[in-house]
Amino acid sequence: MVNGILDYLWLVPALPLLGVVLNGAIALFAERPLLLAEAARGDGGHGTSPHGASSHGADTHGGHGDSHAPAAYRKLVAFIGPAVVAGAFLVSLLSVLALAARAPHDRLFVQVLFPWIQAGGFSAPAALQLDPLSSVMILVVTGVGFLIHVYSVGYMSHEKAVARYFVYLNLFTFAMLTLVLGDNYLLMFVGWEGVGLCSYLLIGFWYEKKSASDAGKKAFIVNRIGDFGFLLGMFLLFWTFGTLSYTEVFAKVPLLSANGTLTTGIATAITLLLFLGATGKSAQIPLYVWLPDAMEGPTPVSALIHAATMVTAGVYMVARSNALFLLSPVSMAVVAVVGAATAIFSATIGITQNDIKRVLAYSTVSQLGYMFLACGVGAFTAGIFHLMTHAFFKALLFLGSGSVIHALSGEQDMRKMGGLKKYLPITFATMFVATLAIAGIPGLSGFFSKDEILWQAFSSPHGSVLLWAIGALAAGITAFYMFRLVFLTFFGASRMEPQVEKHVHESPFSMTVPLMLLAVLSIVGGWIGMPALIGDLFHLPNHFEAWLAPVFGHGAEGAAHGAEHAPVALEWGLMAASVAVALCGIALAYALYRVRTDTPKKIADSVPGLYDWVSHKYYVDEIYDLFIVRRIVNGSIWLWQAFDAAFIDGAVNGIAATVRGAGDRLRRVQTGVVGGYAFSLLLGAIVIVGYFLAR
Amino acid sequence: MPLGNLASVSRFLPELAVTATILLLVAVHVVGKNRQSSASALLSLAGVGAALLLTALQPSMPAVSLFEGMVALDGFAVFFKALTALATIVVIFMSMDSAELSGKSQAEYYVFLLSVLLGMFLLSSATDLVMLYLSLELVSIPSYLLAGYLKGRKSSNEASMKYVVYGATASGVMIYGFSLLYGLTGTTQIAEIGRALATGKAALPLFLAAVMVAVGFGYKIAAVPFHMWSPDVYEGAPTPVTAFLSVGPKAAGFAVLVRFFYTVFASPDGAGGPWTLSSPVDWTLLFAVLSAATMTVGNLVAVNQKNVKRLLAYSSIAHAGYMLMGFVLLTPAGIQAILFYLVVYLFMNLGAFYVVILVANGTRSEDISDYAGLGSRAPFAAVSLAIFLFALTGIPPFSGFIGKVYLFAEVINRGVYWLAVVAALNSVVSLYYYARIVKVMFLEEPAEKAELAVPAFPRALLCLLAVPTLLLGVYWEPVIRVAANSVRLLAF
Repeated sequence: MVNGILDYLWLVPALPLLGVVLNGAIALFAERPLLLAEAARGDGGHGTSPHGASSHGADTHGGHGDSHAPAAYRKLVAFIGPAVVAGAFLVSLLSVLALAARAPHDRLFVQVLFPWIQAGGFSAPAALQLDPLSSVMILVVTGVGFLIHVYSVGYMSHEKAVARYFVYLNLFTFAMLTLVLGDNYLLMFVGWEGVGLCSYLLIGFWYEKKSASDAGKKAFIVNRIGDFGFLLGMFLLFWTFGTLSYTEVFAKVPLLSANGTLTTGIATAITLLLFLGATGKSAQIPLYVWLPDAMEGPTPVSALIHAATMVTAGVYMVARSNALFLLSPVSMAVVAVVGAATAIFSATIGITQNDIKRVLAYSTVSQLGYMFLACGVGAFTAGIFHLMTHAFFKALLFLGSGSVIHALSGEQDMRKMGGLKKYLPITFATMFVATLAIAGIPGLSGFFSKDEILWQAFSSPHGSVLLWAIGALAAGITAFYMFRLVFLTFFGASRMEPQVEKHVHESPFSMTVPLMLLAVLSIVGGWIGMPALIGDLFHLPNHFEAWLAPVFGHGAEGAAHGAEHAPVALEWGLMAASVAVALCGIALAYALYRVRTDTPKKIADSVPGLYDWVSHKYYVDEIYDLFIVRRIVNGSIWLWQAFDAAFIDGAVNGIAATVRGAGDRLRRVQTGVVGGYAFSLLLGAIVIVGYFLAR
Repeated sequence: MPLGNLASVSRFLPELAVTATILLLVAVHVVGKNRQSSASALLSLAGVGAALLLTALQPSMPAVSLFEGMVALDGFAVFFKALTALATIVVIFMSMDSAELSGKSQAEYYVFLLSVLLGMFLLSSATDLVMLYLSLELVSIPSYLLAGYLKGRKSSNEASMKYVVYGATASGVMIYGFSLLYGLTGTTQIAEIGRALATGKAALPLFLAAVMVAVGFGYKIAAVPFHMWSPDVYEGAPTPVTAFLSVGPKAAGFAVLVRFFYTVFASPDGAGGPWTLSSPVDWTLLFAVLSAATMTVGNLVAVNQKNVKRLLAYSSIAHAGYMLMGFVLLTPAGIQAILFYLVVYLFMNLGAFYVVILVANGTRSEDISDYAGLGSRAPFAAVSLAIFLFALTGIPPFSGFIGKVYLFAEVINRGVYWLAVVAALNSVVSLYYYARIVKVMFLEEPAEKAELAVPAFPRALLCLLAVPTLLLGVYWEPVIRVAANSVRLLAF
């Protein structure tokens, strides 16, 4: 059977991998010797900064060493890095169009690349699966990824290790595409670990800075806890189903639940373990703590990995496993509650942060909570829809903040900004669009996806009024802190330090063009998934829901059911309410940060305990440190001294001494006398024969 | 039906290619003015490369018997021919980079090397006692010369001398065993011998003969207690030769061991399942004990070595012990595990020896203490060596782990648990001495800090050895499939 372009699906992950190989060769053979030579000359690259910004110790957009004449290899790297992702995007686009040309029930394409592991009854081929869900994911990953690669060219232009940077970024793209394109859980896990590795490498990209390397380690360790759950869930899945392939597992679900092999208990255990993995990767309570610290990485990385793509892997995994999650009401409830709680919890922290990237980080955690809330109430389509729109506007917000930081020579503290509107017109305009989108202003992408989630939280059989209320409140807080960010950064009088103010400049085209494209997507990206209520007015069908229907058949059914029975007036009413809440948030932000700018301080002072509590992120890090990290460290110290040093080492040393002694004695047999050797041969033969005769 | 002599020639092209290259090399040696030129190395590369290509192109299906039953052409033989040719190619490259060998007459050296290769080709396909004996000697005699190739070095001469004495004794015992077999059955064809013995024969003489033959093969694979020659020879010989001896002839030794014992004393069931012993010689326990003894002695003695080359020599004894685990099981899967392990072993062991050569080129030393700080002096070589050593230990995700998994899995599946336990304990011991080198390289301060230059070409070759060592640890499917096919075709 001829599949046309789909036969080239393997190119989608292969192209970024090619980028890794090419850039890797450049990094190893061209860049590294150069950097080593420079280090040997004692020219560390600091202190010669044209901006003198290293004192801020924050995201300083590169080693900002005075790049002499840019070496030829830098241009090559800056071409290869984005080009391979552009290629992957083109192939993805053509593949998805080819898939769309098929009948809806036939939209599943599996390409077996090679048999990977075969051991006994276990087999895991390296196979790619393109279906409506993975289509959405690869388009987001390669599309947004490409824009961020382009942006990085400008942003990292002062960075010395630019080849190393693009190796990691390409490697990330490859791993992420493996994650979403794999046709079985094991391949998903490979991608899952791969993106984790790249995240670690990129958070700690400026590893000479202690806070960066610490943040990298924190992300890695916290994610290990989640991965542990994923692994156990996968083992249990294999134990129950005897296979890890998506199509086989989901096809077996009805049969196994009918014959009693797959009880609700087992389904709950599998899905909760998988969800534990998702809370790690997607930064949900209780494992969200690594994501805010991950902002130590370069800003484009924050945009790509820690906002638009990698952190949504958990949502993808839950949505992919929807057939399993729907079997267990308990798991669904856990997902919904964790999502809602994370959404409101981190939104409140976002109010009190002053670091522009940290506000966005908590905002990301909060928005991911929305996506899980959607999945938890059975509205998987809405969750994936929000995943997509969020990728647009959150990537834009991060890139915009990067542009601000770039302009201010590395300054990230919003208290030292203000009045940037006139210096950075493009950055301001695009970021303002994204802010409107995330706040849920009607007509922009964020409105459609957020409204869909809130409506489903209310009306779905899995939903409740309480979930809706929490979601709506979180939406109001989101609007508030986002407008706080915009007002503090772009409006009012300048609070910049004088030497910083002198250098303020709008970013180069390689950075502003991606901003503008993302701004367009932030506006129109939601129009393909208009809710029936609004779509009917304009005679626009909900393409997005129809597209994903083959994957979420059962889920969408349940959710749509609830929707049908609800009166139209109620839906309009709820929509109006959530918009009103958002407008209140904006109004409040306007009042506090534009009109009566001294009030926020007064409010904070009037409730010092509460303010401290929230601004210190509810002391969660400290609590984890006290009750978990300290315990483990102390326990390990005890184990080391009492158990390891005394018992294990003693035993090991004893055995080692015995082994060495035996070896020594055996060694002496090796005398070097030839006659003895020849005799030993005959002796050996005689002993063998003798033994068998005596037996 | 065996093919006649003339009809066989067209199936014998790889051997002919090697032979022609040897003759050309002799001519070069006589005619050539410059004895040190690398022309002979390049000629050998071309010859062996051609042989490898011809081997790969050769149709091994259906299996045929050539030269009136002297040698077999089957998947098993093709596998070993390809393996030994590949090892020879790597060793030729190593020899070109070796400081020990530079300045010596080149053509002679490659004549010996390729003669051993020809011997290995024949040894892995021989199906007649006479052919088998001749090819074993064709492997051995040039090996003696290679071991003593550094005429000016005392240890090299000593190595050669010991090798000759020990090898002569072993082959004497072996041919005695052959004569007993001939006396018992009246034929030199091993398939015929197997059929004759299946009808039931006197157990004691047969057993004596089996042990005597085992001595000869055990000497070739350096199994305990027939291993005494190997540490001294491995240490004294030029390092490329040591690397070659520890991989090539050892692999050929396994080929002939499997072919001879399975054909003569056992018979396969038709469906490709386990074999059954068809004669009173129950050699499985014998070889299980040899396997355990081989790995244990090899590892225990390696622990105390202070010379890297000698350490690797002992460790290669231990690896023969691991591979013997697959031999005792009487299953195709066991043989498949051996074949797979040999492929992995080729890359990791040659790679480790290659780093030893490169380091010795710079430091003139093979002592572990001189590896201190290699991580900063020659990071590329040090990291490569670490990869090879961890692979040799059998740590995931390196290929050595997968190789061991297949060997262990088969032993456990057949219920020989004690052997699996012994092998696991041995792996722990081996971790100690392999990791010690890594520790010295990366954690100890060097006496001399100067960078140790590794030229571009050796770097590339190291990459070519390290990449399969890593890759076969995560994606080994094609190699295991080739190994499985080679077992199935084992035909006589």
